[in-house]
Formats: sequence, C-alpha cells, structure tokens
Amino acid sequence: MSQSSRELVRRALRFEHPERLPRQLWTLPWANIHHPGTVAELERRYPADIEICQYFYRPSQRAEGDPYRVGTSTDAWGCVFRNIQPGMIGEVDEPILANMADAAAYRPPCEQLPKAGSREWSEAQDVISRFHAGTDRFVFANIDTRPWERYQFLRGTENALVDVLMPESGMTDLLQKIHGFYLRELEFWCAADVDAIPLADDWGTQSNLLINPDLWREHFKPLYREYCEMARAHGKFVFLHSDGFVTDIYEDLIEIGIDAVNSQLFCMDMGELARIGKGRITFWGEIDRQKVLTSENPEDGRAAVREVARHLYDPAGGIIAQFEFGAGANPETVMVIFDEWEKVHREATR
Amino acid sequence: MEELLERLAVCIEHGKVDADSPYPPELKGQEGATELTRRALAAGCPPREVLAGGLMTGMGRVGDRFEKGEAFIPELLIAARAMTASMELLKPYFESGDIEYRGKVILGTVAGDLHDIGKNIVRMVLEGDGWEVIDLGVDVTTEQFLDTLAGNPGSLVGLSALLTTTMINMERTTAEIQVKYPGTPVFVGGAPLSDEFCAKIGASGYFQDPQKFAKHLRGPADTEGGD
Repeated sequence: MSQSSRELVRRALRFEHPERLPRQLWTLPWANIHHPGTVAELERRYPADIEICQYFYRPSQRAEGDPYRVGTSTDAWGCVFRNIQPGMIGEVDEPILANMADAAAYRPPCEQLPKAGSREWSEAQDVISRFHAGTDRFVFANIDTRPWERYQFLRGTENALVDVLMPESGMTDLLQKIHGFYLRELEFWCAADVDAIPLADDWGTQSNLLINPDLWREHFKPLYREYCEMARAHGKFVFLHSDGFVTDIYEDLIEIGIDAVNSQLFCMDMGELARIGKGRITFWGEIDRQKVLTSENPEDGRAAVREVARHLYDPAGGIIAQFEFGAGANPETVMVIFDEWEKVHREATR
Repeated sequence: MEELLERLAVCIEHGKVDADSPYPPELKGQEGATELTRRALAAGCPPREVLAGGLMTGMGRVGDRFEKGEAFIPELLIAARAMTASMELLKPYFESGDIEYRGKVILGTVAGDLHDIGKNIVRMVLEGDGWEVIDLGVDVTTEQFLDTLAGNPGSLVGLSALLTTTMINMERTTAEIQVKYPGTPVFVGGAPLSDEFCAKIGASGYFQDPQKFAKHLRGPADTEGGD
C-alpha cells in the first residue's frame, strides 16, 4: 500500500482511484461505555483515515459541566442542556433566547477565538501545523459550524421552525450574528494546516426536508455557500453532515462546492441520489443507524453495504466508508461493515 | 356564516393568528383566527360548527398538504398556533358541554427520551381535530402512563420516541397497559420506528405522520374533517 491515509481521502474526493476505500468510524461515548472491547477492536483492525485536529480554544467562561454526563451542562454559547442518558447529548429545555427581544443583546462566544495577528493566533497555528505534520491522516478542523442547529439551541426548536416563515421578525439578525461568529472561526481554520472544514446541520425529517426547500435556499444556502467559498479559496475541502431526508438539497450542496456529504442514505432513494450526485460529490457514509446497525443479524450489515455500493460505489472514488457506532448498535453487526466495504472494493479493482 | 367559517379555515390553514400577525404576508392587515372566531360566535354560529367548519377544516387542509409533502413542519406549527388561539375561545363551550371532544388521548415521549417536537406536532394536530389531549411531556415512565389512564379511563395512548435506545421502552409500556387496561389502543410514532416494530411490541398502530394518525382515529366513515 503506497498511498497514505491522507492521499486515500484526497483521491476519493477527487475521483482519482484510491488504492482502497478510505474509512472513518464515528464512535459516540455510548459505545465506549457499553462496548469498549468492540470499539478497541474496530480501531485496531480498521484504523481511521480521517482525524480531527487536536487543537482546542481556551476554555469558555460560559461553559460548565460535561454534556455527556447525566445532569445539566452549559456550552460556550450559554445554551443549557439537560441530559438523562450517560454517553449521549441532551436537549435544550429552556432556550436562552426564547424571547426574541433578548437577541439584540446576545453575543456569540467570540472571546474564545484567537485574534488575527495576535501571538495566540500564531502559536495556535504552529500547534496545528505540528499536528498536521505529525500524522499521515486527513485532518479536519476542530470546528463545530452548524448555523441552523445553533439557532435552534438559542431559540428553541419550535420557535426556530416558525421563525423561518417570518425571518424579518428577528431571525435574519440573529442568524447573521451566528454566521458572523462562524466566519471568524473559519478565518482562523482556513489559515491553518488542516485538510478540510466539516459543517453539520440536520435538515431532514424521516421523509422530507424540515423546511420548504425554497426557504432553505433563500436563508441558509447563502451561509453555506460563503463557508465553502472561504474554504476553497484556501485549498480546503468541505464536508457536510446532515441527518434526515435531504434529497431536495443535494444538487444545491454540489453547486455551492460541498465535497462530501454524510447523510442518512437509507431514508432516501439511493437510486435518485446516484442520479443527482454520483461522480460529482463524495458520499461520506453512512450505514443506517435506525434499523441496520441495531440488527442482531450481522448479515443485515453486509447487505446494507452492498446496497449502498450497488447505487453509489465507483472504483474511481466518491465513497468514504463511514458509519456511526452509537446508541443501540449491535457490536457484531458494526464489526462487519468495514470488512464488507473492503470486499466490495477488492472485487471491483482486482 | 359559511363565508366567515371559510375565512376562518383559511386563517387556520395558513397560520394567521390575529390581525397583528405578520404571517402570512398575503393576509397582512386582515382579521385572523382570533377575530374571526369571536365574530362567528357573536353572530350566533354554534360552537360545534366553528370547530368543525373553521378549525378542523383548516388543520385538515394543512395536514393533508403535509402528508403529501407540500407543506413542511413550520407551516404545520404556525397553523397549530392559530388553531390554539381559536381553541382558547372555544374552551368554555367544551367545559359547558356545548361541544364534545371526539375522545381523549394521552400522549408522551417514553422514558429516557427528551425529544418532543414530533410528539408536540401530534398533539397540535389531534387537538385541531377535536380530541382532548393530555400531554405528559418527555421522559414519561410506564407508571406515569398507567396513573394517567387510571384517572382517565377509556383514553387512547400515544407513545413517541426518537432514539433506538428508548423505543424499546415502548414495549414495556405497551405490555403493562395491556395487562392493567386490556383493549386500550396504544399507538406509537417516531423516526426509528416501523410497522414491524409496532407489531412486535403489540401496539395498535404506527403512523409516519400526524395527519395519517388523525385520519386513522377518525375512522373510515369520517375523513373530511367534519363532525
């Protein structure tokens, strides 16, 4: 094997025939708590080709508590989460901007970000460069860019969804505030030695887009477009995770320059996704978490890989074998996923 | 009166709460659900007709569009807000017995699960369809469901879950309800669920969206939203 992990991912994204399928396992703390042996075995047998840069901002004055422990915790934005299951993230009970009148005085946690040109900035960039030089894996910025979910955490889900219909009633201003923070954050990471910028926002329900696609295009697509433009101007790839049925915006994601999408393929018609995106965008996983990975029959896992491959696999690239080992997953089933992907690629390229 | 009720139905369907509501822009400056409900009642329209011809018709229309994928969650939520505003004005008539609910539904997100948006939407759609809903909230234990059933015999039960780890709690809740209150219809909903899971745990039905659930509860003879 002559191609490094980084090279494998880059080739997959550029459709330049990676020697093997790049892979990435997402492990939720739940899996570490309930199945530590399986997690260790998976990591030993199938080391990830992607990792997150281990540079962290200075601790936030607002943050408190561990979000993965039972109880309440507060994040850097001041949002308070209640959690009742160890190893999982809780929910916001009482959104801090439930009353839109409070939004005018609200400030995102910009104090956490190194200031451009400061000593902190250049020291941070050095740390990141050393990290990148010290690994042959493909490196993600350690960033959590999710304008829509952040908006929901601040306003509450129901308010946020209704706001979409009346953007002039405060949504536009608050969203711009959130967006401004993310642009500053991206400015820092785009100057850094990382390979890609990951974005995340859940846009789908089980069977449709959460909001009218026209409203998504009007209010949210421009934000993602700006992130993509900034990243690409600095030679970074852009990855996006979005749960739910998001077929209706796949074409938009391709248009604005997203390189790889992690979505719930099994909620959607994979044939249609292939028609829209095969050869144009990389399918960054996944394997169904709701029914397949929870199945007690590992053959269901193998069949699911074959189904994704039948629609979306191309030996030239466009696939990153990814899945999430999260709540409820069956260890025997998760253990076969990468094995089956290796078989798929071997059979196609032998 | 028919015209007034039709205007009310339009306001409910499009989420026009009152005259001051900025949404929808095409109804700007016009009376909303609150004013039209007041006006219909003041003009002597029977509250039952206001409910059936205005609220249920409006909610039914937006629910149908949602079912077809033509309306989305925000449209459903804002319609429900308009419906709730009108329903406040109809409350005294429910209390006096001038209007009867279709029946009572006990709703809750099962133990271990804090997700409530799906359950809330179901609540709003059912209320808009004339059901009295007891919403127990999130992280609801089997005992809480049983206690509520004890105080509200004959109610239907709706269980919600978003997580694969919590949907299994539906099995125990369903089973214990059947032991203590045999024949109680228990319906389930939530993203990771399926008909197979519903059958496996012995629930009475699984519905992918709230409108399908509401239609099922209405029964085949009553699918137009009327009463």
